[in-house]
Amino acid sequence: MLSLVVFLALLAAAPLYTSNPYYIHMIGTIMIYAILLFGLDIVVGYTGQVSLGHAGLFGVGSYTAGVMFMKLGAPLWLIIPASVCVTAAFGALLALPALRVTGPYLAMVTLAFGTIIQILINEMTFLTEGPLGIKVPKPDLFGAKLTEHEFYWLVLALMALSLVVVDRILRSQLGRAFEALRGSPVASDCMGVSVYRYKVYAFVISAGFAGLSGCLYAYSEQYISPNTYNFELTVLFLLAVIMGGRKTRSGAMLGAAIIVILPKLLDDLEMFRQVSSVLAVLMLVGAIVAIAKKITTPRAMAIPVVGTLALAAFSFWLQSITDWRLSIFGLMILFVVYYLQDGIVGFFRKLTSRKTSRGEAYHAPSDAKDAITVAASASGKEVGGELLIAKSVLMQFGGLKALNDVDLRIQRGTIHGLIGPNGSGKSTMMNVLTGIYVPTAGSIEFCGRSVVERSSADIALSGIARTFQNVQLFGEMTALQNVQVGLHHTFNSNLLDVALNTPRYQREDESAIARGMGLLNFVGLADLAGEEARNLPYGKQRLLEIARALALDPQLLLLDEPAAGLTAPDIKELIAIIRKIRDHGITVILIEHHMDVVMSVCDAVSVLDFGQKIAEGKPAEVQANEKVIEAYLGAPAV
Amino acid sequence: MEILLQLVYSGIALGMIYAVIAFGYQLTFQTSDTLNFGQGDALMLGAMVGLTLVNQGVNYWVMLPLVIIFGMLQGAVVERIGVQPAIKIKSEFGWIMSTIALGIIFKNVAENVWGRDDLKFPSPLPEAPMQFLGANVLPMEVLVVVGAVLMMLGVEFFNRKTIYGKAVVATFNDRDAAKLMGINTGLVITFSYALSSATAGFAGALIAPLTLTGATMGSVLGLKAFAVAIIGGLTSGLGIIVGGIILGIAETTTGFYISTGYKDVPGLVLLLMVLALKPAGLFGKTAIKKV
Amino acid sequence: MLSIKNLEAGYGKVQVLHGISMEVPKGKVVTLIGSNGAGKTTTMRAISGMISPTAGEISLNGKRTDGMESFTIAKLGLAHSPEGRRVFATMSVTDNLTLGAFPRLTGSRPKGDVQGDLERAMELFPRLKERRNQLAGTLSGGEQQMLAMARAVMLNPEIVLLDEPSMGLAPILVEEVFRIIADLKSRGVTMLLVEQFAAAALKVADYGYVLENGRISVHGNAAQLQNDPAVKAAYLGGGH
Repeated sequence: MLSLVVFLALLAAAPLYTSNPYYIHMIGTIMIYAILLFGLDIVVGYTGQVSLGHAGLFGVGSYTAGVMFMKLGAPLWLIIPASVCVTAAFGALLALPALRVTGPYLAMVTLAFGTIIQILINEMTFLTEGPLGIKVPKPDLFGAKLTEHEFYWLVLALMALSLVVVDRILRSQLGRAFEALRGSPVASDCMGVSVYRYKVYAFVISAGFAGLSGCLYAYSEQYISPNTYNFELTVLFLLAVIMGGRKTRSGAMLGAAIIVILPKLLDDLEMFRQVSSVLAVLMLVGAIVAIAKKITTPRAMAIPVVGTLALAAFSFWLQSITDWRLSIFGLMILFVVYYLQDGIVGFFRKLTSRKTSRGEAYHAPSDAKDAITVAASASGKEVGGELLIAKSVLMQFGGLKALNDVDLRIQRGTIHGLIGPNGSGKSTMMNVLTGIYVPTAGSIEFCGRSVVERSSADIALSGIARTFQNVQLFGEMTALQNVQVGLHHTFNSNLLDVALNTPRYQREDESAIARGMGLLNFVGLADLAGEEARNLPYGKQRLLEIARALALDPQLLLLDEPAAGLTAPDIKELIAIIRKIRDHGITVILIEHHMDVVMSVCDAVSVLDFGQKIAEGKPAEVQANEKVIEAYLGAPAV
Repeated sequence: MEILLQLVYSGIALGMIYAVIAFGYQLTFQTSDTLNFGQGDALMLGAMVGLTLVNQGVNYWVMLPLVIIFGMLQGAVVERIGVQPAIKIKSEFGWIMSTIALGIIFKNVAENVWGRDDLKFPSPLPEAPMQFLGANVLPMEVLVVVGAVLMMLGVEFFNRKTIYGKAVVATFNDRDAAKLMGINTGLVITFSYALSSATAGFAGALIAPLTLTGATMGSVLGLKAFAVAIIGGLTSGLGIIVGGIILGIAETTTGFYISTGYKDVPGLVLLLMVLALKPAGLFGKTAIKKV
Repeated sequence: MLSIKNLEAGYGKVQVLHGISMEVPKGKVVTLIGSNGAGKTTTMRAISGMISPTAGEISLNGKRTDGMESFTIAKLGLAHSPEGRRVFATMSVTDNLTLGAFPRLTGSRPKGDVQGDLERAMELFPRLKERRNQLAGTLSGGEQQMLAMARAVMLNPEIVLLDEPSMGLAPILVEEVFRIIADLKSRGVTMLLVEQFAAAALKVADYGYVLENGRISVHGNAAQLQNDPAVKAAYLGGGH
């Protein structure tokens, strides 16, 4: 934090230090690009989507400013918000259709968009003056025209503001949602965080920042034309994000610096020769050291070493460097994508092995309550009565009937076991109940409402939570953060609240931390709150999933083989926790193969075989049932 | 009316080119869930290599299979360098960026080797238009349609009738099970990229006599083919032909009746509409994800 | 023919197999039984190369195969009919079966009479014969299971791994499946059979291993195991 303040102060002092407008303008451009990159990082670094059209969005921002100035004579304080909003609107236009399906569709759509925008700007001369471009003088503020230096400070202020806002967003429930949808989309939806919705938010937010950046760029250059906003620029933006380092603000700033300085570097052949030679030598030395220290093998280092040597040799053979600029970019991209995945900043962080401090130390709240609340005001809540009614459920995949006419009635306040041999349809039933599959036929009513055809996120928010057979935690987030994703529904704060750090947001944030700790306490994981989920031992990961599911304040909790892979003492702990959950008034459906668990904890058991229910009743009855024994062991004497 | 029909013919020829490129996207997407963002540049390379061969005196019809072979090599290179490492680290960002990077490099190399100006590709067929149903059609346009259809039929035949083709379809169905059959799925993916680039290069050599041949000819074509692939569906063979024809005709008519500058817009609009309404494409099937 | 020593394997952080050892002699049928989650499918996957073991040795006819790719192991003559059917859904029944013989048709294994074997497979599985041109994805669960088994046999393999062939089958079909297994046995096909249906498996097998929590708890002649209470306990929990 301190280093950031110092850094900003240095930047602010720059115009006083050097009076050369060239450098002021260059640093200004770096800061303007940084604003865009902060936003792009949200999309690329956090949600893991690829956008190939940010140059186009940048262009929309610039031209909104240019057109508003030229046609309407609008003042600065109107133009800036307008640029942001118009660009965000374009972002929504792209994201809403493109993100509905997983796959490279966003990349394809944004690529097309970037090209089209350039074409449209060229063609719509009545609005944009086409290839002639628009002249944009420095803006007026408080009646007087801004000087170069004053504009520079304005840009600096806006960049600092953007940095703070982006940082706040990413630390908030929004940032957690972005990371969650990348970590495990299925789990995200089932925790009430709609993957589609948040991918769109991320893209729209980044479009807004691109708009701001474009607007400032227009004033900075004082002249805009369609040629600038081309595919090469988009590629440079992406290169900046990954080379600088994703998921860090300093990476974005470093990346901005690189892509501003790089083309200038690549125009000067002599300088390029020097730099590439130095680079080759550094790479060779570094590789020898790393191999000697056993950090890596000769084989892994072969390509980078040969590559940089070849590049240096190539630079001496070249007569002109400008012609080969694009190839150099291409090679840089290849290099960064495979060898520098965390970017330069990430690389150095790893080297200094600074443990990515994922948050401050947490302490359990003093009254260490169990912090489980059931969505209390479920109207007409009687003890007993049916919570879930599934009738004649049919789930067919092609010719395969995974669930064949299954009836299931779950009594409120009970622990209901669902057992059956492999392939009997238990997990399919889970997936149908949580909206991952839409049943081919049949009805499912929960609390009087039908579950069929509703989205997983919607179902989760209405009171059904689940865990997964193959643990679906958000691996790169801490245990507490995982639970906080489950608490997403407790936040009413929106983007503005987060950006401005309003009292409402602060309250909700604190309360989420407290409740999250309480839930971790409930499953006995309070002291591991700051650990990354993927580093936890397997048994604890399963408990964490339960804590996260409980954060939804569910009325019904579905546990999918929670005991799988657990040792005997862990299983005892699990049984105790399941009982405590029931005692809090939460109904549980338990899929399990460990018979001891099922027998000791369930009030009722349903048995599936070949997608059909073959038995139901109290555990002891079911265990003695001939059909059940036959289903598990095969016909006794054939 | 005559003009409209002419526009339709040109649109069909154009659309078939889009369809062939989109076909290439399907080939690789089906076996590996990846596609080559530099596919347009593969087309361009095919055209440029073809041009060089023809200028050296090689007969056009002999040049075509040579370009196909070149395309296969180029595709294999793209797969080995760009796609395989990304599949290993399961990074979608990885193969998108590296196929883009390779495309950029190919284009830049082409600019330096062949220059930045557009070149004329000598046409193997007479340039005089023929009459068909009362409107003009260039013989070359007919060749494009015939060539594209033959190419796609050829691949379909390969997939259905030969054991190697069936191995490719098996890989697309279930990669793990295909491996259990003794199929080297890694090689299958390399092969599908080789085939994909070969079809693109072939398309390039076909369309070169009709348009200007230059280092930049591929990028926009590759982009339009995206639209066709999405409209038709990344998993359906028939859809892209229909999609290609729809887009081709939409473009030629827009270009004539509205303005040449706007002719690239229908592609994007159609793309967004299809994604909004039927993401799997007009003919595609939405897959059920298993958890 | 197939020899496994101290095999350890798992998925990421979860270790499922904690050192198991087994032998499948040529011409014999060996069965691996145990409740769900015990590690049976993991064992099969490790043997056929779908996953790599973390420790231990697997040898096929004396040749070490642990760590090899599954397509290499298939070419050595190991056929695996995997859990969950895994047929090629958009291809016909005939095409699925033909692909089972892929190594024979492409020179990696002796060719033999592929067409003849195809006909014989149809005779062995009459339901498949009726549906020879139907797309595999439209078959019922039971028919898909049969197809997967027949496809494995098309390799003309040294050994066949059958992973829960009875899963998802109605009792009549289960009988049919075990009749087919007995028929294959009488032709001298070596088999490793993983099953939930202990009773039927032990009836057709020569030798059995019981897997519990990733370890072999009991093994012996199939006939002896049939009456062993330890086997029942391994499935339904202690005490019943």
